[in-house]
Amino acid sequence: MPTISIFKSDLESLLGSPGEPRTVSIDELQERLALVKGEVKDYQEDTGELRVELQDSNRPDLWCCEGIARQIRIKLGGTAEPYPFLSKQSGRLPRLLVAPELERVRPYVAACAATGYRVTEQGLAQLIQTQEKLADIFGHKRKTVSIGIYRLQKIRFPVTYELANPDEVRFIPLGMETAMTLSEMLMVHPKGLEYGSILAGQRRLPLLRDADHRPLSFPPIINSREIGEVLVGDDELFVEVTGTDATMVLLTLNIFAVNLADRGAAIQPIAVRYPFETPFGKRVVTPRDIGRPRAIQIETIERALGQELETTVVKQALETYGYQVSTGKKSVTVKLPPYRQDLMHAMDVVEDVAMSLGYGAFSPEMPSQFTVGGLSRIEQLSDRARELMVGLGFQEIISNILGSPEHYRDAMRLDGTEWGKMVEVRNVMSSNFSCLRQWMIPSLLRVEGASARSFYPHRLFEAGEVAIVDSAHEVGSRTETVLGAIIAHASAHFSEIHSCLDACLYYLGKTYSLEPIPHPSFLDGRVGKIVVSETPIGLIGEIHPEVLERWQIVMPVVAFEVNLSRLEQLT
Amino acid sequence: MNTTSFCDNLHPLEIIVLEAFGAHPAGAVLTTEQLAEATKLEPSQLSMAIEWLLAKQLLAVTSETVTSVVSLTAVGKTYVERSSPLDRILSAAREASSTGKRLTIADLQRKEGLEPSDVSRAVGRLKKEGALLVVQGGCLESTGRPSPSAEAMRALLHDLREAPRPLDGFSEVQQALIRDYAVKRGSAREPFRIEDRVTRSYTLSPAGVAAVNALVGQAKLEEVAQLSPDLLKDGSWRTKRFRKYTISLRPPRVAAGKKHPYREFLDAVKLKLVSMGFQEMRGSLVETEFWNMDALFMPQFHPARDIHDVYFVKEPARASVVAEPFFSRVAATHEHGGATGSTGWGYRFDPERAKRLVLRSQGTAVSARTLALSPSVPGKYFSIARCFRYDQVDATHATDFFQVEGIVLGEDINFRTLLGLLNLFAREVAQAKEVKFVPAYFPFTEPSVELHVRHPRLGWMELGGAGLFRPEVTQPLGVTVPVIAWGLGLDRMAMVALGVHDIRELFTDNLDLIRTTRGVF
Repeated sequence: MPTISIFKSDLESLLGSPGEPRTVSIDELQERLALVKGEVKDYQEDTGELRVELQDSNRPDLWCCEGIARQIRIKLGGTAEPYPFLSKQSGRLPRLLVAPELERVRPYVAACAATGYRVTEQGLAQLIQTQEKLADIFGHKRKTVSIGIYRLQKIRFPVTYELANPDEVRFIPLGMETAMTLSEMLMVHPKGLEYGSILAGQRRLPLLRDADHRPLSFPPIINSREIGEVLVGDDELFVEVTGTDATMVLLTLNIFAVNLADRGAAIQPIAVRYPFETPFGKRVVTPRDIGRPRAIQIETIERALGQELETTVVKQALETYGYQVSTGKKSVTVKLPPYRQDLMHAMDVVEDVAMSLGYGAFSPEMPSQFTVGGLSRIEQLSDRARELMVGLGFQEIISNILGSPEHYRDAMRLDGTEWGKMVEVRNVMSSNFSCLRQWMIPSLLRVEGASARSFYPHRLFEAGEVAIVDSAHEVGSRTETVLGAIIAHASAHFSEIHSCLDACLYYLGKTYSLEPIPHPSFLDGRVGKIVVSETPIGLIGEIHPEVLERWQIVMPVVAFEVNLSRLEQLT
Repeated sequence: MNTTSFCDNLHPLEIIVLEAFGAHPAGAVLTTEQLAEATKLEPSQLSMAIEWLLAKQLLAVTSETVTSVVSLTAVGKTYVERSSPLDRILSAAREASSTGKRLTIADLQRKEGLEPSDVSRAVGRLKKEGALLVVQGGCLESTGRPSPSAEAMRALLHDLREAPRPLDGFSEVQQALIRDYAVKRGSAREPFRIEDRVTRSYTLSPAGVAAVNALVGQAKLEEVAQLSPDLLKDGSWRTKRFRKYTISLRPPRVAAGKKHPYREFLDAVKLKLVSMGFQEMRGSLVETEFWNMDALFMPQFHPARDIHDVYFVKEPARASVVAEPFFSRVAATHEHGGATGSTGWGYRFDPERAKRLVLRSQGTAVSARTLALSPSVPGKYFSIARCFRYDQVDATHATDFFQVEGIVLGEDINFRTLLGLLNLFAREVAQAKEVKFVPAYFPFTEPSVELHVRHPRLGWMELGGAGLFRPEVTQPLGVTVPVIAWGLGLDRMAMVALGVHDIRELFTDNLDLIRTTRGVF
């Protein structure tokens, strides 16, 4: 999950009260970051820059300096600060009007204004980083959520969110010197190239403009340079979020609103007017408190944590973690703060109680119930076979299962044969890792081919999994455990490997016979299938010289392979 | 010097010579000839052995005598075959006298093929001894009297035909004859050669006596290189001595049959888990997104479900069905919480997406399958599952790796017993006494915790992650008791145990490396 960059001094000023930063040592910070499932990955003492990794993908509010500071600050202060802009607003609010046709394209928008906070260099870096991380990770690369920030004084309300003719509307986008049409931005601008696919197939494209028809931005692609370029020193901002998920759009705006409020800005809500129904109605004042109260039995928490807890202890733990809490007799009713939307189950609250109290507050206790351990039958058989092969003087190998058709099929002369069928990967990254092995012998030849300088004889084996294509099976293939073995030296021949197979199967308690078959990987007339109880369970033979050439092996190689899964089923 | 070790360093030839002394009474003096007789060694081998023993001062020379030895020359050997000129002239003269024929010196030269000088010298001697007369016309006649020289010569040729003999072993007369007919300067064509031969006598030094005594125990024992079935069968090993080896040499290499060190590490983990009461689970390398993610309450829009995070199967791309009632229950849980008391994710669950086939990306998929198969309560399960991650391969990222994961079900399962279990893992798997529990995030557990331990050799490290499965996971799969889900990150421990620094070396194709790596567990 995200790794973000923050400045220690910025964090310290956000941890303290206005004008009074609270200093923290790196050790203390590392400890405190347990509250946000974060970890300091790097600290540059000269610049004060910290790299912090945050684990929780359901807490986008924590992917910024303000969020981390807030969670720690509440814990230290013992109570959450209220955000008055979430209360019912009186009087006329600046409006944002949504055009009807957006319902099909990118329906939701949320916005607010923030005044009275003069943007600092570190503050601006955080604004931009938060915008990027939220849009990229939480907003699925801007598909679900994207964010724009503007200079408020350039905007005249009401702002309109509408669809525009891509070849008519033109403005100078961020990062460019000249005005261009929306079509041109998609074709030329780096952000257009990166995110244009989100709007693929749309004849008319989203546009935010103000009452004077001046474009604010082309969401989710790019802002206008004139209105949408925020600079250090600006103290009047306009933030909007557009997207396809009403809740996520609102949550994202809430996060920006509380972040700016935490930095001292006054938040001016905006009234968004939709011509269509949304989950929050046709008129939505944003930011908006989207949390819902939820009652949780104390017993549920106690049982999950394995510890008796007073209602007051639970209440305090949750309040110092940002919740609004009211207590019943044996329950608590909780509501998440406006910047969170990750309460799906009571267990989510349970974890927050544990984190707020600290994991160290819970003494470990051994599970007391008795269970019997054991290995699966196939693992037991595989272990016995491995012991036997070791006793027969073979060195065990472990190989990758993911490999290439070139090795598992083509070099074995199996192209176009039944034996050459294998599970192949659709999204190949490297042809070296593009299919699962369907048999073991190529894995052993891989080692043989690379080890001509290791003294002979070579006796190698591997017991492991292969994937055998089987359309009758639920997932189109069977995972089976097989045993493969090879012998390589100047006079290696069939009877030598046959003796080993014979000994191995004897001690596994199997009577077998060999039946001659043609098989392209082996010398004709020196290959057979191994049959137990009329079921073919493997192959034995002398490897074909052409196969050896393909593997660049210059020693005769004899081999056998036994399907242990099939053998196990015969018992 | 220690006599025994002295004996060990004796060459077999030396031992033969010493043994020859051992066969004689103490203090015996033996000549080279006697030694040659006793040891049956070739002269060159014997003289080598004697030289070495002298150098080691095991043997001392007692006397050195010079003897004149007579031997036959090549001419002498023809005399043995065809008689000497004396005999041949004498018998030719006797034959002539009995038949009345005339015999001249020229006849002798022609008929007998004798050199003129030999003839005149022999005739001279025979005439002098009165065995031959020279009559008028140069004819030779036999007197009928014997020739002492011819008889002596015949006896000498007979005595010397086998081997040379000392000169002083002959009578004065014979010695005189030998000297007359011996090779000397100016007369090479003679039957006899007189040579001076040095004969040494040897006796054992005190050290030699000790060596012989030490050899006595082994005296009669033949040395063999190798104990053989035949030696054992007939018990003849008792009469053999076994050559001693230089055991400080490096031995030839042997290719051992053995387990792979990484597999040994995993076997040890497996054994540990079984001993703690865990039952093994197995799963499929190919899974539906349903079991790999949906059943674990990972929303379909979750960032980790992207095309760039999981390997998708080409053909077939989808499973035909996903088993009910799990499919409907999980779909409902995602959409609005179903019967779990959750709000759900609040999105429209895509059943087709759930059927997409992926390469198992997390071992938790195996746990999900187990939950749906009516597991035992109480129950403990584990799997060591091969998983696949869509990642660039480097020293710390493999596409193909083992995840050690599992679940614990029981009425007594809660956050504190979760911590207790993690304590047990810390102690048993990492031999760690100090632990830290840190809040963590996994999509399928709540609360979630990371286990940090102080490993005896590695210091503080993250050993694993765990949590209580969300009811959104367990209830749709038919499980009503709380369930711990845990996973251990053992790659770093394995790499340290095997002494490798690159995760790819765990699956190396370098046989030398596999053969030489020893695990330190």
